[in-house]
Amino acid sequence: MVLAVVRPGLLATIQGCARQGLRHQGIPASGPADSLSMALANRLCGNAPDASAIEITFGGAEFAFNQDTAFSFAGACATATLSARPVPSHETLQAMAGDRLAFAHPLAGVRTYLAIPGGFAADLAFASTSTFVPAAFGGHAGRALLGTDTLSPASVAPAPERLVTPPALRPAMKRAHALRAAPGPDAAFLPDTIWAQPSQATNRMDRTGIELAGSWPVPEGGAHRPSAALFPGAVQLTPSGNMFVLLPDAQTTGGYPHVLQVIRADRHILGQIAPGDRITFLRRSADEAYQDLKRKSKYLSDWLPGFAF
Amino acid sequence: MTAPEIVFVGDDALAAKTGDGGVRNALAASLRASGTWRDVVPGKQEVTVQFNPLTLPPAVAFERLTEQCQFIPGDADMSARHVSLSMRADEASAPDLARLAGENGLSQSAFLQRILASPLTVDMMGFTAGFAYVAGVDPALSAARLDVPRQRVPAGSVGLISGQLGLYALAGPAGWPIIGRIAQPLFDAQSTAPFTLEAGMRISLRIEG
Repeated sequence: MVLAVVRPGLLATIQGCARQGLRHQGIPASGPADSLSMALANRLCGNAPDASAIEITFGGAEFAFNQDTAFSFAGACATATLSARPVPSHETLQAMAGDRLAFAHPLAGVRTYLAIPGGFAADLAFASTSTFVPAAFGGHAGRALLGTDTLSPASVAPAPERLVTPPALRPAMKRAHALRAAPGPDAAFLPDTIWAQPSQATNRMDRTGIELAGSWPVPEGGAHRPSAALFPGAVQLTPSGNMFVLLPDAQTTGGYPHVLQVIRADRHILGQIAPGDRITFLRRSADEAYQDLKRKSKYLSDWLPGFAF
Repeated sequence: MTAPEIVFVGDDALAAKTGDGGVRNALAASLRASGTWRDVVPGKQEVTVQFNPLTLPPAVAFERLTEQCQFIPGDADMSARHVSLSMRADEASAPDLARLAGENGLSQSAFLQRILASPLTVDMMGFTAGFAYVAGVDPALSAARLDVPRQRVPAGSVGLISGQLGLYALAGPAGWPIIGRIAQPLFDAQSTAPFTLEAGMRISLRIEG
């Protein structure tokens, strides 16, 4: 046992790799909502990009270390306190047995990832340790962490080299987001104003998706499409005139018009969109999106080898 | 059949437009067996595949899927698998039943009887873990998706839109009006075969109590 959960905040879950190959049975991807920040936190502990880490939602969480260990965090919370001393994100840090690590509420962004060397021990379900709360599998007994839980490392790992994330690679936490997006199969339903007119995230958001208010016109008969496959990053136009952007726990098929697809290179940003944030979509073709992905991947590959988006 | 049209779905997925019918499940099985794709997901009108452009560039993926769709295997053998389920239809379990029955000009029991008498078959799985699209509902009954999806319905909820039922194996968000709740669990994470239902399975439904 390395650490005890004192307060989980709004929602804290263990996340590992995204599930794949089972969407035809309704098994969603799960995994971190912001895969880049989790990979950066893991890097500082000498872990693989998708080693099991704790995903903290809107800060407000507190942990007690039961043994000396290195740890790191990255994402929405730029700082935390370790037994009342401020400690920064994006650095390999050292805790002593008895230390308490507390996260305040972030000013921007949503999710913060806490990593330890070797990753956290967690249930393996469908080849991943990621928690999927609705079906109660993966993670810590298939559920969100509670204030009575204690967690152990998945494996005994050597003390990591002390590292700092290069400043240029740290994702900026913002209240306005530009998301590159390719047309979806129902792009014919896309309002012309979509590229010029920013929309705003509402407070209907969780790990399945984020609602964007827009009062977009819904064409007659546009509400009901034959159910088709959906993946995280899909943007659906709902009959209410709002849009819904899908996150890693989202359903695998659906019938609202699929008008846009946030490109693979930018999907990690979705995990940091908070209620009230402004969203602007930037138009990309499939090939332009591929070039964007290659560029971003090359930019990160020296620091994060093996990070696969 | 002739080779289906293939279209991009965003930047890292492609859909082969097969139309409805059993060929979707057969094509999906053969595409899954090819090992080319991260995920192969049949929908109502197509089979969608996802790929990682860093290992399979979009243009190559398009060519590969085109080749793989030249030969579509025959309809998969949907052997006579069958399951009996009981449904609760009290007001708490069926919040939209009274409204839908009224809109169709039927009493609640007559409305339910039309559904029970329909030849119900699992058409596809998807949406979320263990969710089953069930085809065969009397097409004379009309029902549309809700304008604002519910954020959470209980496990076992039975949705209805025209021509089909949707069985929600798990609690979660739901865009379909709810006309009942299945009494037995439809998903067991601990089991080696976690899903009660499979595509192709026939369903007998009865009302509990």
